[in-house]
Amino acid sequence: MSIIKTCNVKYSYDGNRNVLKNISTDFEVGKIYAILGPSGCGKTTLLSLLGGLDSPSDGQVLFQGEDIEKKGLAYHRKNNVAFIFQSYNLIDYMTPAENVALTSKLPPLPILERLGLTKEEAKRNVLKLSGGQQQRVAIARALASDASVILADEPTGNLDEDTAVEITNILKECAHQMNKCVIIVTHSNELAKQADVILKLRKGELQIADIPDTDMRKGWKS
Amino acid sequence: MNFTQRAFVYISRKKGKTVSLFLVVFVVAVFLISCFGVLKASERLSRDIRTSLGAAFYIRANTEVSMNEKGETEVKENHVHITQKEIDEIMQTGEIKYYNPINYGFAKSDTIQFIQGDKHTAENNMGKVAALRFSALAPNFTDETAVLVEGKHITETDNGKILISEQLANANHLSVGDMLTLTHAKLGEADGAYIDEIPVKTAYAQVEVLGIYRLNTEDTSIKPTAGVADNEIYASLDVLNELNESEAGIYTGEVDFYITDPAKLESITRNVQLLQSIDWTTHFIRTNDFQYSKIADQLSSLGDLVKILLVLVSVVSTAFLTLLLTMRMRGRMQEAGILLAAGISKGQIMAGFLLEVLSVTIMALILSYIASLCVTGFLGHSLFGELQPNLLNEETITAGIQNNLEIENYLKLSAVETLLIYFCQFIVIAASTLVSSIMIMRLKPKEILSKMS
Repeated sequence: MSIIKTCNVKYSYDGNRNVLKNISTDFEVGKIYAILGPSGCGKTTLLSLLGGLDSPSDGQVLFQGEDIEKKGLAYHRKNNVAFIFQSYNLIDYMTPAENVALTSKLPPLPILERLGLTKEEAKRNVLKLSGGQQQRVAIARALASDASVILADEPTGNLDEDTAVEITNILKECAHQMNKCVIIVTHSNELAKQADVILKLRKGELQIADIPDTDMRKGWKS
Repeated sequence: MNFTQRAFVYISRKKGKTVSLFLVVFVVAVFLISCFGVLKASERLSRDIRTSLGAAFYIRANTEVSMNEKGETEVKENHVHITQKEIDEIMQTGEIKYYNPINYGFAKSDTIQFIQGDKHTAENNMGKVAALRFSALAPNFTDETAVLVEGKHITETDNGKILISEQLANANHLSVGDMLTLTHAKLGEADGAYIDEIPVKTAYAQVEVLGIYRLNTEDTSIKPTAGVADNEIYASLDVLNELNESEAGIYTGEVDFYITDPAKLESITRNVQLLQSIDWTTHFIRTNDFQYSKIADQLSSLGDLVKILLVLVSVVSTAFLTLLLTMRMRGRMQEAGILLAAGISKGQIMAGFLLEVLSVTIMALILSYIASLCVTGFLGHSLFGELQPNLLNEETITAGIQNNLEIENYLKLSAVETLLIYFCQFIVIAASTLVSSIMIMRLKPKEILSKMS
């Protein structure tokens, strides 16, 4: 079932050069989407448009069939989507529990514990946690918001291989067991291989690919 | 988590930033209150100087200085005087607030042992008497060489009243309200000894100790007992009359006239000197504006300096606060981006930032009020302490009540003025925070997050 959809979305920074050209795609719940593409191709911009961090120059983003601008982008961000960033983007003077409570409609501790943090770790300053633990907190924050769509921008970019696998599994669990739509922007082929749908963004156009290239980044650059 | 909870968490966790903001707001508030206090004090002081004593002129007999046959200097006083009639004529020239004639004489008492001076004997055990209308206007009191420590000053309505020094009171176990009998005396010199030229006593005066004064200077010069500063007795005018040393309505000493406005001193004395009833060949007139012109210049310069300082402090502190708050807000850009991405509204984010800053500001302003009381007290003594001698007020002169002005009051701002300063500072801080926040909030969330990355 389509939860979020782009209709002929265009985006340009200066009004001349289109970073995104007529992108129309459906995203369904219960699936992981991986968007691949070279640096600067507009992957993060597309994610921002889906998440209501910015508005398209032309076209629409529909959430459950309704233009997200109708109720307002802030409403969309608060109720429909949740972000996970490469650099975690946690508030540095708060504990993990407080970071999760920022947007939480649910109690933060059970979610953090489910993601592998102990009660003690949940009460420490977030900066005292490892990168993997911080990303778990970011995921917990996204889950606590009870949003249907999780938008992840390079969620494993700053993590070692083992931790990246753990985070990928959590994201898969979000999609397949919690019935959320997880859209990941990544350079990582390993992460992309775990996705249900792989999308390639090239020269402003989005194409569906069955499996990721063996060396996608290298391929895009050539 | 709502914005009040976020604000509380920030204040309690970011202690360094909270304390630095607190200190800046605190210091700026104390600075501003002190500067406004000094500015207001200089204006108040200027006004009080003009309306308290203002200025004075003194009329007294000429003294003739000559050399005798032995080559010694002799001071010869003209035996001239000023009468009450002449004083009344001078008073009619207008603009004169008080007059204070002084007659000088000597007095002895069987019950007083004066502080011993050079060649002290039982015969020369006497003190100098200055009989006057208002003791508060005696030069020693106006220049604060002496200060009343107990009782009241002598005023025009008093009869049979005296002021004695603290040292003389202690030496004779005298206190305010004690009655004494004085008798007349005259200091003379014979065969190298000091004598009383009135050996047979026929005149006596019953007097009451109305007040006790303390001398602020120490007199170390060699003088006869009657010349010792601590033996000087200030008396109401009738005392020397009773001792047959002066006549009612005739004044052989100096007569002081006090006017309200120092600016009119010159024209008033010019008019007085036109009076024919006073022989100006045997009298001279001396003016004293109590250094009003000098003080007025100083106050004016101080006022200008404080105004410049105030403008500088206001501008610099406002700029500094704005810069500090802008930097503080820029440091919160990432947080703003995270909160925006989480769907928290711009209004709520700005309300949180504002609440943090204003909570710290309120705490700093409350404490700065207490600190400013100490600072203004210190500044009051250091800046205006020297000007106090000229600030005898009307109550002290006419009612005799010692009423030293409190310097703190000069710098202390009223509650409304203090609140106004605080309100302005509060507005500046709130506006700076809002402007800094708006500069961030006008960006799209994506732009904020891009800047962060």
